Amino acid sequence: MDLLASDGDLLRLLAVALLGGWLTLDDTAWSQTWFSQPLPAGLLAGLIGGDPLTGLAIGLPLQLVLVGNLPVGQSFIGDPTVAVVGAVAAAVLSGHNLRSALVTGEFGLPLLGWLILGAALLSLAGHLLVQAERRAHVPLMLQGHRTLRDGDLSRIQRLHRRSLALTFLRGALGALLATLFLARLWIPLLAVLPERVQAASGILAVLLPGLGLGVTIERYGVVRSLPWFALGLAAALATVRWGP
Amino acid sequence: MSAPVKGLGLRLRWLLFVESLGLQGSWNPQRMQNLGLLSIMTVWLRRLPRNVERDRLFCRRYYEFFNTNPYLANYLVGALLRLETEREHGAETPRGLAATVRDSLGRSLASLGDQLFWLGLRPALVMGMGLLALDGNVEGVLTLVGCFALGQFLLRWLALERGYALGMDVVEVVAHPLWHRAIAAATRLGMFLTGAVAGVYAVRLLALEGQGSGGLLAAGAALGLGLPLVLRRRLPGEVLVVVALVLALILSFANPMVKG
Repeated sequence: MDLLASDGDLLRLLAVALLGGWLTLDDTAWSQTWFSQPLPAGLLAGLIGGDPLTGLAIGLPLQLVLVGNLPVGQSFIGDPTVAVVGAVAAAVLSGHNLRSALVTGEFGLPLLGWLILGAALLSLAGHLLVQAERRAHVPLMLQGHRTLRDGDLSRIQRLHRRSLALTFLRGALGALLATLFLARLWIPLLAVLPERVQAASGILAVLLPGLGLGVTIERYGVVRSLPWFALGLAAALATVRWGP
Repeated sequence: MSAPVKGLGLRLRWLLFVESLGLQGSWNPQRMQNLGLLSIMTVWLRRLPRNVERDRLFCRRYYEFFNTNPYLANYLVGALLRLETEREHGAETPRGLAATVRDSLGRSLASLGDQLFWLGLRPALVMGMGLLALDGNVEGVLTLVGCFALGQFLLRWLALERGYALGMDVVEVVAHPLWHRAIAAATRLGMFLTGAVAGVYAVRLLALEGQGSGGLLAAGAALGLGLPLVLRRRLPGEVLVVVALVLALILSFANPMVKG
């Protein structure tokens, strides 16, 4: 389906860009409510396109595998927010639905794995943009030295708001470009790749939740987490076995 | 003798709270949150009659390197504002006291906040959302994140007033054992929910013929557990996805699963 076939699509793309801008601000710059985490971000992007379950299907494996990334100080953070918004918007707005991953548990859909891979690569690329933006904050911050001489307080807040505007712009443009790239190039590319790669994409989608769980357990410490993990596992199995 | 110090007042507190949400907005590799901190502090300063020399010196005190956890930063902001208010009211404050408090308390709050929020609450929330998502519960996911958002807003709001009320005694807040109990509880909850998510995933995968295998779930988990041990370092999640693709390609020779 053509992404820009109607005026409605254009409006939805605009909404995706605004969502990308807001969530990028939320990620580290302003408020940090965690709506910018991959799972809720995917859900919100899905809601814009009218298919929140596809948003959850893409956001969940990504969220699990990225749980080990700690956005603390100068450590690696990537840019998963823009990437997941772009991946979900590209899928939903170009007419693909991946609801069956959640509804019937059909996790091994090649397109699901392929989009998650695309989002991961975009997040890696976005990391460079995040670093560039942070470096761009340095000259803004240094301009504040003039206030140390003339005491002009409004300059400080002006410079701070300019930094926030830069972050919003990165998110909005990033989400828009990511959506267009994934919808126009990345998704169609899957169909022309060898069957082996398509099958591997499906397997990837099934591997990732386990990978995310493994990463989480490793973070907690295997021995320390084992009793609590076992308890949770038993509770889930009991609920499924004896639940409604 | 200095005059007694009143509370922040609702309007000023609101303005400070809103500005404090953007503490990291101008984060930079040289001095990290310094511009953000000063931007918050100037909300208070701008309410005083203009005095260029005082304003210049004020900005100088807060333009150095600064970094802390944004969720707990308002304890420090409140305490610093109390210090500045007392200075404004004529109290003798030792030279360099603001910088000492800012740096030492900032570091303590950073460590505490990172353990509580990033290592404790975030994995727990992620797994909680994961359980709801596996059930296709859209409202549940939004409600859970919304509750966290409101909770952290409330903490920031209360921390501002508490930090201001305590002044330099705000160090007592950091030393309170409640924080460590909260970290331990959040960590245990996270571990429990991780097990629950694993259980639900396993059941779903095993129920499907063809993609059969909880084996793939286990293979992914083994990769996630094993890679940091083998490489002796933790890889970013994005890189793990690429590594998992290589494993998936290898497995695709052995496992002719997946529909197109």
